[in-house]
Formats: sequence, C-alpha cells, structure tokens
Amino acid sequence: MERNRRFIVGASIIVAAVAYLVYTGIRETSVYYLTIDELLSRREAVAGEGLRVAGRVGTKSVQWNPATLDLKFRLANFEDSDGVPVAYTGVLPDMFAEGRDVIVEGTYARDGSFHARTLLTACPSKYEAEAGAGVAKE
Amino acid sequence: MVDLGLLALRLAFVGGLYAVLTAVYGAWARRPAYARSARHAAYAVHALVAVAAAVLWHALLTANFSLEYVASYASSTLSLPYRIAALWGGQAGSLLFWVLILTTMSTVVHLQNRDRNAALMPYVTATLMTIAVFFLALLVFVTSPFERLPVPAAEGADLNPLLQNYWMLIHPPSLYLGYVGCSVPFAFAIAALVTGRLGDVWIRTTRRWTLFAWFFLTLGNMLGARWAYEELGWGGYWAWDPVENAAFMPWLSCTAFLHSVMIQEKKNMLKMWNMVLVLLTFCLTIFGTFLTRSGVVSSVHSFTQSGLGPFFVAFLLGVIVVVSGLVIWRRPLLRGENEIDSFLSREASFLFNNLLLVGIAFATFWGTIFPVISEAVRGIKITVGPPFFNKVNAPLGLALLFMTGVGPVIAWRRASARKLRRSFAAPLGVGFVTGAVIFAAGWRNYYAVVCFSLAAFVLATILMEFYRGTRARQALMGEPAPRALANLVGKNRRRYGGYVIHVGVVMVFIGVAASSAFRLEEQETIRKGDVVQVGSFTLTYKDIHFTDDPHYSSMLAEIAVAKDGAPVGTLFPEKRFYKKQQQPTTEVALRSTLVEDLYLVLGSYDEATGLMTMIVFVNPLVNWLWIGGLVMVLGTVIVMSPTAAERRALAAALAVEDRGLEAALR
Repeated sequence: MERNRRFIVGASIIVAAVAYLVYTGIRETSVYYLTIDELLSRREAVAGEGLRVAGRVGTKSVQWNPATLDLKFRLANFEDSDGVPVAYTGVLPDMFAEGRDVIVEGTYARDGSFHARTLLTACPSKYEAEAGAGVAKE
Repeated sequence: MVDLGLLALRLAFVGGLYAVLTAVYGAWARRPAYARSARHAAYAVHALVAVAAAVLWHALLTANFSLEYVASYASSTLSLPYRIAALWGGQAGSLLFWVLILTTMSTVVHLQNRDRNAALMPYVTATLMTIAVFFLALLVFVTSPFERLPVPAAEGADLNPLLQNYWMLIHPPSLYLGYVGCSVPFAFAIAALVTGRLGDVWIRTTRRWTLFAWFFLTLGNMLGARWAYEELGWGGYWAWDPVENAAFMPWLSCTAFLHSVMIQEKKNMLKMWNMVLVLLTFCLTIFGTFLTRSGVVSSVHSFTQSGLGPFFVAFLLGVIVVVSGLVIWRRPLLRGENEIDSFLSREASFLFNNLLLVGIAFATFWGTIFPVISEAVRGIKITVGPPFFNKVNAPLGLALLFMTGVGPVIAWRRASARKLRRSFAAPLGVGFVTGAVIFAAGWRNYYAVVCFSLAAFVLATILMEFYRGTRARQALMGEPAPRALANLVGKNRRRYGGYVIHVGVVMVFIGVAASSAFRLEEQETIRKGDVVQVGSFTLTYKDIHFTDDPHYSSMLAEIAVAKDGAPVGTLFPEKRFYKKQQQPTTEVALRSTLVEDLYLVLGSYDEATGLMTMIVFVNPLVNWLWIGGLVMVLGTVIVMSPTAAERRALAAALAVEDRGLEAALR
C-alpha cells in the first residue's frame, strides 16, 4: 500500500501538470469565435477585442494592391447585405474570392473596422461538396 | 451497372445485420453452426462491398457524369491515378472505401482464426459487422454514392486541385488502414470482455493487428504532414487543425497501448488500463471520422455542416455506453496480479510514458472541442489556436522524449543505484555536454536547447544498448561484429526494432524543434532583376514563364539561388490555375538538403505592374522529420516481422485456452 501511495503521487504530478498546462493555455490563448452575424449584433460589447470571425467575402468589395499587398474587403454576412470592412496585408490565399467563406483573426477596432492578422479561406475539402453538389441530404 | 452497386450495398447491409444476429445467437446458444454461418455472411458482405466499390470505380474511370458523385469529384480531363483516388475524394465514396477496408480486414481476421479462438470469434464477427452495418446504413439511407443526377452533367466539377497531389493518393488510404485497423483489436477486446476470457490470448492474437494499425497511423500522419508542407504553401507542416488532431489522437492512445501492453505480457499488470486504451483508441477513430465529417468544429478542411454528425454522435455514444458497461461488469477479472514495486522501475516508467501520451491526447482533445464546450456552457464560442497546442504539448512532448531514453533501459521491478549509474551516467553526460555546447554556441531558444540535449541523451542510451548487445554476442558466440549486430536485431526484433523506432522519434523531435525554433520567413514584392537576401541565401528574380494546357494554366517564376555567394541552382515556384474549379493553387519550389530547406512560394503576380510577391522560408533540419518518419516505419517493420519464438508463444497460449474451452463444452 505504501508503495502504491508513492506511485499515485507520481501519477498525480503528471495529471496535475497536464491540467495546469491546459488551464493556463486556454486562459492565455483563447479568443472569441463569432460568426459575422454575432459580431454585428453585439458590436459594442466586442469592440477593441481580439476576435476570430467567420463570414463571407462581400460581392464587389475586394480591393487588392499587389505592390503593397494591401487587401481590403467587406466581410459580409451570409445574405451579403451587411458587414464590416476588413484590412489585411499579405498574399492572397489561393481560395480567396468574392462569395467565398473566410475566417479572419485580428482586432475589431472601435471605429467598426477589422484589422486582420490572419486570413483563412474555407478549403472545400474532400468531405464537403462545393456549391451545393449535395452530399448532405436530409 | 449503377443499379448493381445500389443492390450490392443494400444486400451488404442486410447481410451484415444477419451476421451480427446469428453470431451473437450462435455464441449464446453454443451452436457453432450459427457462428460458421455468421462468418460466411461476413465473407459475403465483403464481396458485396467490393462489388459496390468496383461499380463506383468503374463509373469514375468511364466518367459517368449521370452519377452525382462522379460529376462532383471527377472530370473528363482528370488523369487516371486521380480518378482512382476520387473514390476517397468525396464523402460518400470515402465512407464506401472505409467499409471496403473494414470488411477486407474482417475477412483476413476470419481466415486467420478459422480454427482458432472459437470462443472469441463469434463476438469478433458481431463487433466488426456492427461497425460495418453502421457505415453501410449511412451509405444506404443517408449519403449514397450512387445518387443519380436528374439530368446527366456534361462535365464533372473535378477533384479539388489541392487533392491532386501524389501524397493525396497514398495519405488517405494509409490513414484509413490505420483507423480501420484499430477496429480489430477493439473487436477482440469486446469479445474478451463478453466471454470473460481476459487472459493473454486476445492480446497476443491482436498484437500484430495493433502494430499494423499503428504502422499506418504513423505513415498516414507523416504523409499528411508532407502533403501540407508541399501543397499548402505556408512553409509549415502541422497547424493543429481539428482534422489533423483527429488523426493524431488515436495515434497517441495506440502508442500508449503498444507500450503498456508489454507490461501486461511480462508482468500481468495494467489489464484494466490496457483494456481502456484499446477501447479509447477505437472511440477516437470514430470521433476523428465524426470531426472530419460533421463540421461541428470549424476546420480549414470543412466549414459547413454535412449532416452526418448526429449519426456519428449517436453511434459513438452507443459504443461508449456498451463498452463502459462491459468494463464495469468485468472489473473483477481485470485486476492485475502484481503491483508496481518502485518508482525507479521499467513498469513505473512505462506508466508515466502512458500518462504523458494520454495527457497529450487529452490536451489535444480539449483544445479541439473547446469551442463546442464553451458554446454549450457559456453561450459563446471561444476558440484556441496553434499557440495553445504548442504551449501545452511542447513541455509534455519533451518529458515524453526523456522517458523514451529511460523506459527501455531501466531495470524491471526496482533499479539499483549501481545499475542506474551504469545505464545512465554516460548518456546523461552526453546530454549535458550537448546542451552546454549548443548554449555556448549562442542558442537561446530554451525549448530547442532542452530538446537537443534530450535527443542526445536518448540516442546515447540506444547506441549503448546496441553496443553492449553486440559486444555480448561477440564474446559469447564468437561472432564478428557485423554478424553479431545482425543476429542481435534478428533474434530480438521487438526490442531492437523498438529502438529503431525510437531513433526515428528522436529525429522527428530534432526536425520539429529546429524547424520551428530557427525558421526564417521573408516576404518581398520585387521586379525582374531584383535580389533578395534571406539568411545565407541570395535569390535573384530572373524571369517569369507562362504555360497553358487544357487542365490548368500556370506561371512559374525563375529564381536563381546562391548560397554564401556560390550559385547552387535555379528554382521555379509556381502558381497554377485549375480551369474546371476556377481555382488557383500554389506549387512551392523546394531546395531540400539535410541541413535546411529553402522553400519558395509565388505569392502573386501582377501583369500590369510586373510586380511579383515571393514568400521565402528557410526551414532548418526539417528533412530529419521526414527521415525520422521513415525510420519509424522501418522500425515497425522489424518489430512486426514474426519470429518463431513468438509464434510458439501464441500457439501455447491458444492451446491452453482451447483445452479450457473443450473442457467447458464437455
């Protein structure tokens, strides 16, 4: 029993270390993840925060300067009626185009504009049919 | 043709149900004829699924665009290898491919055990066929690969260009073999629990299957990383994306199982723990499938709902309820016969290694599903990205690396101070010296310093094992050194094959640590004739070329590369535009050496201004990651190759079991 107890102490240290790392990791690195509609409905509350936002590239909104790599577009909601202006600097991802689903990560400024540090495009992966090619039939 | 496929799937579904029911009834009523009938039904299910797969393959090869699946994932200009790969390129096809592998494995298991394991086999049949029936139900009722279009399409939408890459031909099949391979140990575990035959036999019978699954999980993960590295063009190979995590977690728990099962074989301990690991691994493979298909967790691989999620959740919950019930019911039989004697023993170190592996799996799991949990609990989605996973898993990974050096060498039961000194003094010295040297050389990334020191320590322990073993054989048998080494490995394949795998693991750690700690990244917008300096590389933008073919058009930048002033060649980073899907893809240009990779990406090109944006990465030592992966795979082959002694051990265990069975039946 004595032996077992000592052993349990060792195991508990590992378990506690994992728990501690997970806990602090979540606290320090987590960001809110909103859809564009959620962002639009609580603009005030999240202004000035680091955010991750999923939306769609608004039609006729993309301005791209290949010399400076400055990209501006409207992150539209899924009906393409409303949205927030996004500024991003960097190379256009392959899948970036108007009407595509994207995720931006960055800061939502108080003036209502979004400065994106990262720009992720939805990769219509092998498990997903593009443009309603319809695998999901319910 | 298509109707034949549909019919085959429906019959397979019915046949699977029949196999489950007759197998269970046969075992329960002790009527071997029923078990035999169930086995034959399982063969038939396999044949029917093969017919369905053949029909879909035929449709893909003949570009039968009246099928929705073919129209979505193939086109008339798609080349032959990718038409074959299109079978697992889309959802319904990949589910069909999954069942094809599962039923093939089921047939192999049944053939192997035709005259063995008579008590376990009916439940193995029932378990494997239950899984098959679940997937077949999805194919028959939810997402059929044989769905017809109202009007046949003139042309297909084509396979996603990102998937048109040779790694994609072998990465998914490899991962599926790994995933599905985990079903076999799971089926035997269930059979062992139901029958209460929780001795050695099921473990020994499934050992090679577990290794087989692990082999392909390792390979699949490596190939996936390699695909991401070559095809996605962001300079890295691993981003802790949910879909990557989905493949990583079962690998972790399977690795843990492969280690702790040795303790059970040698010491008859940790029975309960091993059982939990086998069951957990299977659940993680189903969870992984669920993650990749449900869209419940957003991923770069899939952002939208596919509708299959609820079915997987229901299946997974069912599995968890059943196996938890079985484990609790059989708890008395799962008690080990021995206890751990000391901290400083192989038993204890294996258990710590297990806790670390499961800890990493848990942290990864938690980070992956955190958005879902936070939304359920607090009503708002909170997500964590790569920083979380790196922060949590890096220290755990380093601790694990340390255990890689300790576990195989430390004595069983209780290590004496003298033995510890003998085994570890020299390797620890090597580790410390390595750390001191690279620190003095100016490295200030502490993770990298620790990782390299630990790597040196582990390599030293392994080298010492090989050296001591060889010397002992030389002395004992009078063999010359090369023969002694070959015999040493050949006669103890599990042990020395395991060491080879560990060498591969060390290489992977080195590659990952160096390429993440010392990576250089530059992004430049330049004109023809401009020169970019990155690290020791001088890159000159010479020209841009354009090509065009029916499938895609492309532009290639011509970049002259010099290292430390001396020309070393020309690289052509490329941007393609796939016409069918109207999608550009990035084809990176690599100059890969054992020291570093120069990784060039053509970011964009503007015809009006002639400006080209190039992204340059220098990834030090990243090649060791891939080489390490190959070494791990090679080591697994050594471990898997059977020895006469092992076969005898299994035969002996089976004989004991069968005698017991005969006695019970009489």
